[in-house]
Amino acid sequence: MKILFVCSQGMSSAIAVNALKKEAEKDGTDIEVLAVSTQQFEEEVKNGYDAAMVAPQVRHRFEYLKEFADAANVPCELIQPQAYSPLGGPKLLKQVKDIIGNK
Amino acid sequence: MIERVSKFLDEKLSTPMAKMAEQRHLRAVRDGIISTLPLIIVGSLFLIIAFFPFPEGTAIKTWLGDNAATILLPYRMTMYIMSLYAAWGIGYSLARSYKLDGVTGGILAAAAFLLTIVPESIEELGIVMPMGNLGGGGMFIAILMSIFAVEVLRFTTTKNFRITMPEQVPPSVARSFEALTPAAIIILTIGTITYYLNFDWHGVIGKLVSPLISASDTLPSAIFLMTLIGFFWSFGIHGMSIVGTVARPLWLALLDNNSAAVAAGQAVPHIFPEQFFQAYVMIGGSGATIGLAILLALRAKSQYGKMLGKTSIVPAIFNINEPIIFGAPIVLNPVLIIPFLLTPIINIIIAWAATASGLVPKLYIAAPWVLPTPIFAFMASGGSWQAAVLGIVLIIVSILIYAPFFRVYDNNLLREELGDEAQKA
Repeated sequence: MKILFVCSQGMSSAIAVNALKKEAEKDGTDIEVLAVSTQQFEEEVKNGYDAAMVAPQVRHRFEYLKEFADAANVPCELIQPQAYSPLGGPKLLKQVKDIIGNK
Repeated sequence: MIERVSKFLDEKLSTPMAKMAEQRHLRAVRDGIISTLPLIIVGSLFLIIAFFPFPEGTAIKTWLGDNAATILLPYRMTMYIMSLYAAWGIGYSLARSYKLDGVTGGILAAAAFLLTIVPESIEELGIVMPMGNLGGGGMFIAILMSIFAVEVLRFTTTKNFRITMPEQVPPSVARSFEALTPAAIIILTIGTITYYLNFDWHGVIGKLVSPLISASDTLPSAIFLMTLIGFFWSFGIHGMSIVGTVARPLWLALLDNNSAAVAAGQAVPHIFPEQFFQAYVMIGGSGATIGLAILLALRAKSQYGKMLGKTSIVPAIFNINEPIIFGAPIVLNPVLIIPFLLTPIINIIIAWAATASGLVPKLYIAAPWVLPTPIFAFMASGGSWQAAVLGIVLIIVSILIYAPFFRVYDNNLLREELGDEAQKA
C-alpha cells in the first residue's frame, strides 16, 4: 500500500512514518510512505495513493486538505493524537489498515 | 471539571482561532513568505562572513572589513529585497487558491508591488531603482499589492471581463492574452496613484505599520505571542504555524532592520525578531521542551518514559518536539502544560535581560531553525560565543523548571505500569 502523510513542514510526520514502517515490517505488510508539507500535499496527493493521513497538529487545515484528497479520490483521515508519536506505530498501522479496508 | 473547561476552550477558542488563520488571504501570505525563507537564510549567511567576530586588528578582520561591501552583494540581491520575492510568492499562492493561473498571479503581484517604487534617473547609471523599500520594510505593501493584483485577476476572470482566444490558440499564448485586462487595470491604477498623484506608499503605510512593528519588539508582546503558541499546542494544534502567519511579517521587518543596520555599520536596533524565540525560547521545540526530553532520556524510571525519551531526544536536539507533545502527551495534560507554558516565559525574561543589558548581542542572521540551540544562537548573533553560552544556560533552566513536573508525570506512569504488572500476576 502507498500512504501519504502531511504535517506542517513534513518533518515531524517523518518520525511517525518511521514508526509506521517499523511496525509494518514486523507485521510483514508491504508499505510505501511519504511525508510532505501542507504546501506540497496539494500536488503530491494526485500521485496514486491508497490513503492520505493528516497530522493532528494541523487539524485546522483538515477540511482544506481533504478537498484535494477527495478530488484525487484518496481516502483522507486525521491521525489520532495517541498514534502520532514514535511509540504510536501499532495504533497508526491499525488506523491505516482500517481506512484502506473500508475503501 | 478540567476536562469540561478544556473542551470548552478547544471548541470555543482555539479551534475557531486556528480556522481563522486558515483564511484564504492569510494562508497565501504565509505560504508566499515561507517560500522566500531559503533566500533569506542563505542570503544572510553572507552577513556572518562579512562581519564574523575575528579579533580586531587581525589581518583577516581587516581584509573582511575592507571588502565587506563586495562580500555583501549576494545578500543585497536576496534577503535585502525579500519583499519583492514575497510579492511573487503571495500572488502565486493566492491565485492558486482561487484555482487561477499561479504564474500569472505571481507576475501581476510582483508588478503591482514594483509600481509602488519610483525609479530615478542618475547620470552615469541610467534609470535606477532604489532598493530600500523592497526589503522587510516594504513587506506590508507587498502583501497589499499582491492581494489587490490577484483580486483584480479574479474579478476579470469570473466576470469574463477579458480577452478570450479561440480554442485553436495554444494555452500558453491564450494565457498571456487573458492576463491583458488585469495587467492594464493594475498598471493604470497603481501607476497613476504612485507616479501621477505622487502618493508615497512606503511613507504613508510605513507610518501606519511602524507602531505595530515597535509593539512587536517589546517584552509583553514577546510573552504574549509565545504563550499563545503554547496555548494552541496545549490542544494539539500547531501554534507556531498559526501565530507565525500573523507575526512573521512583523518579525521579518525587525530582522531586516537589524541586518540592514549591521550591513550599514550601525547599532542593531531590535531585540525580538523571530530568531530570538528560535534561539532562546523554542529550544527543543515550542514550550522549550528540551528539558523534558533530556529528563525523559536520562532520568525516567517508567518503561514508557524511557522509551519515549530514547526516541524523542534526537528530534528534540533539532527542535522538533511533536513526538513529545503527542507522545507524552503534553496535549490536554494538566501536569505538563504548566511547565510547557511557564518555561518559555522565564526563558524570554532571562534572554531579554541578557540582551538588553548588552551581555549578548542582538540577533540579525536568519539561521535555519533546526540547528541545535547553541549553534543556532552562535550563528544568529553573527558568531557570538556569549549567545551560545546563553543558549546552554537556558537549556539548564528548562531542565530545572520541567524537573518537578516530570517527576510527578513519571511517577504516575510508574504506578500505572506497576499496577498493570500486579494485575497480570
